[in-house]
Amino acid sequence: MSTIAIEKLRVKFPEEESFLFKDFSLSIRKGEKVLILGPSGSGKSTLLKILSGLVPKSMEIPIKYTSREISNSWGFVFQDPDSQFCMPYVDEELGFVLENLGIPHDQMKELLHRYLVEVGLELEDVHIKIERLSGGMKQRLAIACILALQPNTIFLDEPTAMLDLEGTAQVWETMQRVARDKTVIIVEHKIEHVIDFIDRVVLLDEKGNIMMDDTPKVIFEQSKQKLKEFGIWYPSVWHEYRHAKTEINQPINQSAETLMKMEDFIGYHHKQPKIEVSNVEIKKGDWISVTGENGAGKSTLLQAIMKLIKTNGKIDYPLVKNHSDLYQRIGYVFQNPELQFVENTVYEELAFSLRKEKLSEEENKKKIEAQLKDFHLLNEIHKHPFQLSTGQMKRLSLATVTITSPDILLLDEPTFGQDARNTFRILEKLTRLWKEGMTIVMVTHDPMITELHATIVWQIKQGKIIHIRDKVNLREEEEVGQVGDRIIL
Amino acid sequence: MAIELSYKKTFLHHINPSMKFIIFVGLFIGLLLIHNPNILFYTCIGLLLVYFLLTGYPFVLLLLFASPFLIIFLSSTITMMLFGEGQTTLFQYGVIHVTEESFYRGIHLGMRSIVFGLLGLLFALTTRPVSMFYSMMQQLKLPPKIAYSFMTAIRLLPMIAEEFSHLKKGLKIRGMEYKKGIHGFYQKIQLFTIPVLAQSIRRAYRIAIAMEAKQFTGNRDRTFYYQIGFTRYDTYFVIFLLATLLITFYMSEQLPILQVKDVLSL
Repeated sequence: MSTIAIEKLRVKFPEEESFLFKDFSLSIRKGEKVLILGPSGSGKSTLLKILSGLVPKSMEIPIKYTSREISNSWGFVFQDPDSQFCMPYVDEELGFVLENLGIPHDQMKELLHRYLVEVGLELEDVHIKIERLSGGMKQRLAIACILALQPNTIFLDEPTAMLDLEGTAQVWETMQRVARDKTVIIVEHKIEHVIDFIDRVVLLDEKGNIMMDDTPKVIFEQSKQKLKEFGIWYPSVWHEYRHAKTEINQPINQSAETLMKMEDFIGYHHKQPKIEVSNVEIKKGDWISVTGENGAGKSTLLQAIMKLIKTNGKIDYPLVKNHSDLYQRIGYVFQNPELQFVENTVYEELAFSLRKEKLSEEENKKKIEAQLKDFHLLNEIHKHPFQLSTGQMKRLSLATVTITSPDILLLDEPTFGQDARNTFRILEKLTRLWKEGMTIVMVTHDPMITELHATIVWQIKQGKIIHIRDKVNLREEEEVGQVGDRIIL
Repeated sequence: MAIELSYKKTFLHHINPSMKFIIFVGLFIGLLLIHNPNILFYTCIGLLLVYFLLTGYPFVLLLLFASPFLIIFLSSTITMMLFGEGQTTLFQYGVIHVTEESFYRGIHLGMRSIVFGLLGLLFALTTRPVSMFYSMMQQLKLPPKIAYSFMTAIRLLPMIAEEFSHLKKGLKIRGMEYKKGIHGFYQKIQLFTIPVLAQSIRRAYRIAIAMEAKQFTGNRDRTFYYQIGFTRYDTYFVIFLLATLLITFYMSEQLPILQVKDVLSL
């Protein structure tokens, strides 16, 4: 009854040549905490949906098996916090789940409070819009919803892939508390936080075959090479990356030419001042890391620099001659690259970037192919940008922006949601561009990236740069807000 | 991009949404059958009073919402006056030729569009979509499958709006310059609809799966987080409505503004 098992599973997607799973068998005991690991494309997420029964009940994917046991009560937490709720308010969403179970109306209020407290969401008023919660809070609401289902099995499909460090910690801390006596099956790339929670790891290969099935200790000791290959964030991965990297970034070009200067510069969002910079310069050869909490105004700063939002005050770009030149001289990569594609193929996407350079067709082609090769995208040359994987999309957006060699590259979370392999690929690429003379300003949540790559760190809090740390010249300054009285937020 | 309006709740907000819906649909149809501009005139006055006094929104906001209807009123009235047919000339200057028939019909049409607009606004401003669908499931036996589909779709709208503004910025960054005229319009449609639609379809599909994972079956036997029934406010509303209708008819008989009883038989 309470075990979950599948015998001789076969899955074949219509457009694929070979089977994804071929005669795959797995059985999970009651109360076990299992982590499923594998490279992207190994069907981990599909497997989770098959084990829960969502496939084929809710999702039509052709599968075959000789026998299957599924749990009679289970809950599923999905990856994207924004596409798993159907109601606008927190209480209504939980109410929806309770309705599905046929819980009488007069018990609902009390129950939903109880579940919210259990996941640590102690809201003053439960009638609050879901969109006002942070990512970590949304995922905890998702956990509260599945607690309402009183499941004996919980499926987690990369629940923290779209969360920052803080949100990730909150989610796993909550899971440890609420799921102690339940069967938990997890797919996750960032294993640092789950490692103490699980007692079994199943390692899959690209085709969905089980490579190893053992305790976490054994797996992490014996198959580190495989984990590295698969791009999994195993605990010491940064340590090894740092080891392999021989030097700390030193500015190559010490010409110290000023590329951008901001004075009493303010960026507005919905008519509210959201970021204020009293006096800051960006010099050629800087690699600036913009850090700070969620909602501190990091992305807003980048958008203000690019004049994508309303601004006030002074900002000089000595190298930019006229306004239309701005987007040629400063490149900007969004967190979600999907929203900056304009063409129908990868090739045309790059050709679009080059259209102002007026090159001959021959030169164009040569340049584009070289760039694609550089970004490991040459095989994708004729695909539609939307057909690419998330890692490929990110690389393509970087490729489209850097092909015109802008002076400054603004990056909003360049490695967010990427697996380890992609992250290091992107970082290596950025390092090369930087060494070739590109100035980089990046927003990042990851302290390791800041540590290993940035030459200057801007810390932002409540819409102000409160602290600047120059790692190369070992200089620190506290930014004193001169425009101080116009308080942000 | 959250659009939240602040308002005070009046008794119009507390009426059973299903009943409100049916009554409003009834009023819509009824108004189509009325050809006496005097009745429409007083309905217009009555609705304006209700709209400005009883919806609980700030006056400026209400003016802003209603402003498009003034344009519709003017445009439909003027079009009908200038291009309507008729025998009795009222005014002629060059190609401009207004007849008595078209004049009255124009006024009538304009008032009708105002009345329709106000009714729609009144309903939209005093009814939360979630309450409406909960009430429709309970009073009108609307299948939950349909009700929740609508509620989910409404939840998606602000996300689509936000994505749209991101997309606009994304294209700006790429240095997108739009073509002029009709080609530019076509180009914009192509650039905006495909990504927004692709994302929305994907999101809707994921939400649907998440709903089923939360054991939503679409069955009719379910309990309700909001139990919506009838209250004394509904009685007040019906009395209020009947009284208003009576006054309207009475006034249009006793104090007619226009000397026309039926715009069709002029």
